Amino acid sequence: MLPNNVFRCRPWLPLATLAFSGALLAQSVEPARPWWSPGEDTPLPATLEYANGWGRFGLVNADGPVTTDGHPFFEALGSNGRGCVTCHQPADAMSISVATIARRWQETEGKDPLFAAIDGRNCPHLPAGDAAAHSLLLKRGLIRVSLPWPPRDSSGTAITPGFSIEVVRDPSGCNTHPEYGLDGERHEISVYRRPRSAINLRYVTAAGFGVTPFIGKTGMLAAKDPETGKPVNMNMMADAREATLKTQANSAANGHMQVVTPLSAEQLARIQAFELQLYGAQSWSNGAGSLVETGGPSGFGPRNLRAGRDGVLGNNTSNYVFPMEDKWANLPEVEGADAMARRAFRESVQRGHDVFFYRTFWIKDATHINTVGLGNPIKRTCATCHGMHMTGMDVANGWMDLGTTNAPWALEPPESPWAKELPELPLFKLTCNADQPPHPFLGRTVYTQDPGRALISGKCEDIGAIVIQQFRGLAARAPYFSNGSAANLRELVDFYDRRFNIRYTEQEKADLVNFLSVL
Amino acid sequence: MKHWMRAVIGLGFLASLSAVAAPPPGTRLSFVSCPVVRDTRSVPCWTSDYQGDSYYLTIQSDVSAAVQPPLLGHRVLVEGIVSDKPQICGGIVLEPVRLSVMPELDANCNTVLPVDERYVIDFNPRPPGPSGGRLAFDPAPGATSAPPAPPVGEQQLPIYFDFDRAVSFRHPDVLLNIIKVAGQVKATRLKITGVRGAHKLSDGTLLQESTTIGRKRAEEVAALLKGAGLTLDAELDWTDAVAEADGVDDWQSRRATVVLTP
Ligand code: HEC
Ligand code: HEC
Repeated sequence: MLPNNVFRCRPWLPLATLAFSGALLAQSVEPARPWWSPGEDTPLPATLEYANGWGRFGLVNADGPVTTDGHPFFEALGSNGRGCVTCHQPADAMSISVATIARRWQETEGKDPLFAAIDGRNCPHLPAGDAAAHSLLLKRGLIRVSLPWPPRDSSGTAITPGFSIEVVRDPSGCNTHPEYGLDGERHEISVYRRPRSAINLRYVTAAGFGVTPFIGKTGMLAAKDPETGKPVNMNMMADAREATLKTQANSAANGHMQVVTPLSAEQLARIQAFELQLYGAQSWSNGAGSLVETGGPSGFGPRNLRAGRDGVLGNNTSNYVFPMEDKWANLPEVEGADAMARRAFRESVQRGHDVFFYRTFWIKDATHINTVGLGNPIKRTCATCHGMHMTGMDVANGWMDLGTTNAPWALEPPESPWAKELPELPLFKLTCNADQPPHPFLGRTVYTQDPGRALISGKCEDIGAIVIQQFRGLAARAPYFSNGSAANLRELVDFYDRRFNIRYTEQEKADLVNFLSVL
Repeated sequence: MKHWMRAVIGLGFLASLSAVAAPPPGTRLSFVSCPVVRDTRSVPCWTSDYQGDSYYLTIQSDVSAAVQPPLLGHRVLVEGIVSDKPQICGGIVLEPVRLSVMPELDANCNTVLPVDERYVIDFNPRPPGPSGGRLAFDPAPGATSAPPAPPVGEQQLPIYFDFDRAVSFRHPDVLLNIIKVAGQVKATRLKITGVRGAHKLSDGTLLQESTTIGRKRAEEVAALLKGAGLTLDAELDWTDAVAEADGVDDWQSRRATVVLTP
């Protein structure tokens, strides 16, 4: 475990400076974290903690210790040696950070099953053992996600898409490849996405507020649970293509793990049961100290997630998104450098919470938020899009076009004769059919790195819409956004500052970063 | 002091302008124009200019608002009746007012005006940030929750659409209600007629929807009802209501009609 004196400051510094420098000091160098290989057979205890750059991440198994020996989440079930745990590492909030990926590459000289050709390489046809062939995974933490094009509905029938796709740039060669490309034998499109946290999935899959047979944002049919026929909340995966944890596990096994036959009913039930009882959140902050102390803010720590209500809209002062009860506002005076630093950091977290919740800015040109009856633009806050109590997701059908993957907002290295870095993600040009409504803010021609939900629905208005993932364990799993375009929390905040012209002060940015770091 | 002068001059100037141009209360107006956002200390309000006058449309509230704000980046089709209420945000109040966002982009519609102390908006039901009061989707205070008497016999249920659009975020509740009513009347027949509408604008222009929209509306509604579990086979039809456009509630021509027969 990390010594808690990583955060140091001098007692004579004024408080505001303390809080600000706290943002810089509280994140120390990433500690090496234990790698969990499939088939390791180590039991997963009821509670455990792992160090990360901001403190420690805590996991709680509500049903007690988990026997991993023979457990389908923890065994290599297919031909490539991977388990679910390969990409969903306990130390990394059940996602996987790019730092962990890079370390694993070094430790195994690129031989860990994580780097399997199928999706751990920029494209399977690229040479083995060559770091350049894995650059998207090594630099951005991205896994190749290949999807059928045109899309198919749940019965397997092809959907006629409302737009055509042209490959403008294809650095990996995958989208123009004779086998893997859009016009190749498989008729697939390859996009590159971050593994998402397999914790707190009771919240992610909650069928509470806003779940009906129709998608609230579009009026189209909601996906159904194939077992019960009931509509689901469509809040999983960047594009909501999987209806339930079971359909998700089956396609993960088939795709990432190259399992040939579908998982058995028993295996699926075990994976689902495991995922629904697993809770995770940051439990210790280098700056703020314990996040799980009795009487502390009720939105922090894995136990509060275990106890919390799912499917609840928190964008209001009755439930709050991440409740803090103002517990870290106006803390009493303390003496001694460490105590003063802790107090300053806690007050910074509280201010960051208030920035997230109350600081307004113009939310503009974001499909599926501005277009669902609120108007464009709206003067509101981070919590408007991130309204789900305890997770910061959207409560149902959580996809929106924030601009993370679409031009002009998507991160692209500047191209010039002097540029040292060339773009590594594909770029697609999507042209909407004349008989379809256009993308509401980008019109009939859209350039994108990942069309997101539109790859499933085939609709122009869904281009670039990405499902929000939960905000928990952020400290353990950089980089952020589905395409890994924010290398750290500060870059995430800077993205918003540019995207919405928010003009946060340095203090607001530091407070917001500190707040996100304790979730 | 200076402040006060500016306000008085500003108001006087506006008043004299509208004295010349504004149509009298009761006038029906129908026009397509850019929406304008006016920031205020609380929530922004929305206006639109037509023939030299500014018309107040609505304020920012939440998804359950009766009149939902339009989108910058698009023109808006406005239909309303001039009221004699005091101006809001410098705009003549249209009541009732019906708005529809035009689907194609229009980069000219990009005006956000700064806070002007003359315009004060009471932010009921919700402030710009999280609300402590009534939440979106909660029934209005004092609203009675007594359910309406269950329908009997043949039911004609209209569905209204935005200009040149079929099913959207506006329709989940409408579609759910159709399924419910079908069960209540034990429907054995389902007929869906999609209508292509048009607007007679105040300047005399006839604004027509695309020729295929009636059919698209009928087919989409049928597919969605079926997908949500309504097992009746729908009879589909589509018609053209362009000739009906007369400048009076033309928004009702952008519709589909669902007939449920026991
Ligand atoms: C090669 C890495 C890899 C492996 C192995 C893997 N996953 Fe994933 N997982 C991902 C990626 C990438 C995503 C996000 C995909 C997307 O957004 O389209 C994801 C998403 C998920 C999610 C969705 C979480 C959310 O909030 O949206 C769950 C649940 C999940 N995986 C469970 C599993 C299970 C169960 C297995 C084993 C059967 C598994 N994964 C194996 C990479 C992997
Ligand atoms: C217009 C809606 C919208 C607003 C406003 C908004 N977000 Fe997001 N946020 C999103 C979407 C959509 C995603 C998912 C994007 C992606 O993964 O590409 C996201 C993702 C995130 C994530 C998760 C990243 C990850 O990888 O897990 C964090 C953290 C976040 N936002 C913080 C904020 C903060 C802080 C603010 C206020 C400055 C904010 N958001 C405002 C829509 C919004």
